[in-house]
Amino acid sequence: MHFIFSNEVVLLFDFWSVHSSAGMALSVLVVLLLAVLYESIKVGKAKLLYQATVGMSIPTSQLTEETDQDSSSSDSPPVSRIRLRWFFCHFGQSLIHVIQVVIGYFMMLAVMSYNTWIFFGVILGSAVGYYLAYPLLSMV
Amino acid sequence: MAYNSTTVPHHHHPTTSASHSHGGGMGNMMMHMTFYFGFKNVELLFSGLVINTAGEMAGAFVAVFLLAMFYEGLKIARESLLRKSQVSIRYNSMPVPGPNGTILMETHKTVGQQMLSFPHLLQTVLHIIQVVISYFLMLIFMTYNGYLCIAVAAGAGTGYFLFSWKKAVVVDITEHCH
Repeated sequence: MHFIFSNEVVLLFDFWSVHSSAGMALSVLVVLLLAVLYESIKVGKAKLLYQATVGMSIPTSQLTEETDQDSSSSDSPPVSRIRLRWFFCHFGQSLIHVIQVVIGYFMMLAVMSYNTWIFFGVILGSAVGYYLAYPLLSMV
Repeated sequence: MAYNSTTVPHHHHPTTSASHSHGGGMGNMMMHMTFYFGFKNVELLFSGLVINTAGEMAGAFVAVFLLAMFYEGLKIARESLLRKSQVSIRYNSMPVPGPNGTILMETHKTVGQQMLSFPHLLQTVLHIIQVVISYFLMLIFMTYNGYLCIAVAAGAGTGYFLFSWKKAVVVDITEHCH
């Protein structure tokens, strides 16, 4: 198996079969946008975690103190609400993680089609996504 | 003028099967190139491991799910082990020209491990295990079997949810620049 330049490829699903150069251009664009989305999800997940921990940094220190001792403190209803909020935030993060894993595997399978145009689309999309998203990581 | 509409959907089947036999010429002609749902004659990673019944597919689903969960847990465990074993901190200061001709002292902080220490060897062994498991998960996803792919994704999500929960509560409130 080797890389070929071709306008015919079947990508990932049975219905996604490309025969013409216009279809190939569109497929390369879709794959490029998928790669951009993958890089931005990576940055978005880190920012979400940072905002969540900063947003409840003081209450979570109370949370760890509560788990050390066995007694329920006097302000337990706000702590349990914070726990619930943290649970939903973390659940949302796990969903985003699943989407990131699936898109990563889809990009691997797209490259596995051994079509050079699709490969270029993945590489270019990763580059553009990294270029656009990673500066946002250091911005607060 | 015998143009049947039935010839059109059959048109792309010979081309895709021709590309299959070209691409899969190194022994395995049954390689799928698109997602499918099925449990008959599914080869999984090793030559003796063939799934033929729904029960075997359910067992394979659970095994792949647990493997993906273990992979996420291994990643988190390696991170926490690294943080715990980084005890040696070296500071070195160097003079740096500042504005207005003054000289400022810039301090660099390096954290690291010794090469032959036990934590580093343990990290290396765990790294090898992590690389092998990640390649196994990639190969499992490459079977294009819908059930197994869903098992990989669900296992990764559940593993991230369970293991990163603990990590996020304990670690990230103390370290802001993570």
